[in-house]
Amino acid sequence: MIKPNTGELDPQESAASEIKSYTTGFIASLLLTVGGFAAALSDLPTTWKVVLICVAALLQIITHMRNFLHLSFSGGQSREDLLLVLFSAILLTIMAGGTWYIMSDLSGRMHQTMDSVASAQSQPHSR
Amino acid sequence: MSEKSLYPGLNLGGTHGKAHEKAESTVFGFWVFLMSDLIIFGILFASYASYLNPMGMAGGPGPNDLFDITSVAIQTAFLLFGGIAYAGVSLGLKYEHGRAKLIGWLLVCAVLGAGFLFFEVKDFITQAGEGGTPQVSGWLSSYWALVGLHGFHVFSGILWILAMIGQIATRGVDDAVKIRLSMLGVFWHFLDLIWVGIFSFVFLVPLA
Repeated sequence: MIKPNTGELDPQESAASEIKSYTTGFIASLLLTVGGFAAALSDLPTTWKVVLICVAALLQIITHMRNFLHLSFSGGQSREDLLLVLFSAILLTIMAGGTWYIMSDLSGRMHQTMDSVASAQSQPHSR
Repeated sequence: MSEKSLYPGLNLGGTHGKAHEKAESTVFGFWVFLMSDLIIFGILFASYASYLNPMGMAGGPGPNDLFDITSVAIQTAFLLFGGIAYAGVSLGLKYEHGRAKLIGWLLVCAVLGAGFLFFEVKDFITQAGEGGTPQVSGWLSSYWALVGLHGFHVFSGILWILAMIGQIATRGVDDAVKIRLSMLGVFWHFLDLIWVGIFSFVFLVPLA
């Protein structure tokens, strides 16, 4: 990890920019939350609603990471911290995404089989 | 940010000397814990998504029978405002606004967190009364595990806040307290981040 810098910082300027960062994050989160709920309650087709909710959630997660957790992906961050977060994100993608993909694929195949069995049984004399 | 961060989260800054340097390894360690926590939540999200179909619900009550979107909105508001209130603690700590302000902001966070928990527990009780108990279906098991684990984290966070208020009152804002408040901040904001996932993917997507 990197040694702390000993350069003087202007507390007044730094405080103002931090308050601004929190305020920006708060307003963005508020708008994205309201947006997500509005999308869910709207009359749009379900696919559109789900897409809008997911986009709002992803944007809000990024906002939280930048403005509240102060994670920075462009310098200003020691390398170990960035590696830790990125490594966890990759693990999460593989494990959670993989689980969801395998289970939904399996579920789709089982439904397909059951549906075709059911339709074959309900129309035994059709062919 | 005008100076380089030693660790993720709002840094105490060079003016805090030793506490700032010591915070580096301690807060980094806490981040390792949080990232493992993130993996647990991620897996629970994945199992929730996998059970979100008629087979997973096994003939039991589904999202439309159990979820109350108004209550979810109220809980979201409590947690969002509770999260931003911690900015008062972080900035008050960094710029030395004094004990009284720190305790005041911590109390705001604790009260908003408690408001969130009140509505969440109320929902859980209503849902259990409507036949939505965890043993009814795989979907309900995953729902209770995910949302319940998050609720338990918020409860722990409130206990931690109360403990920190006690420490500030008795021993003042010394180096150890500064580092603990830095970790508590990361924890508190992290819970808010997880809740964004919960209200979006657990509540809003199935109701859409």
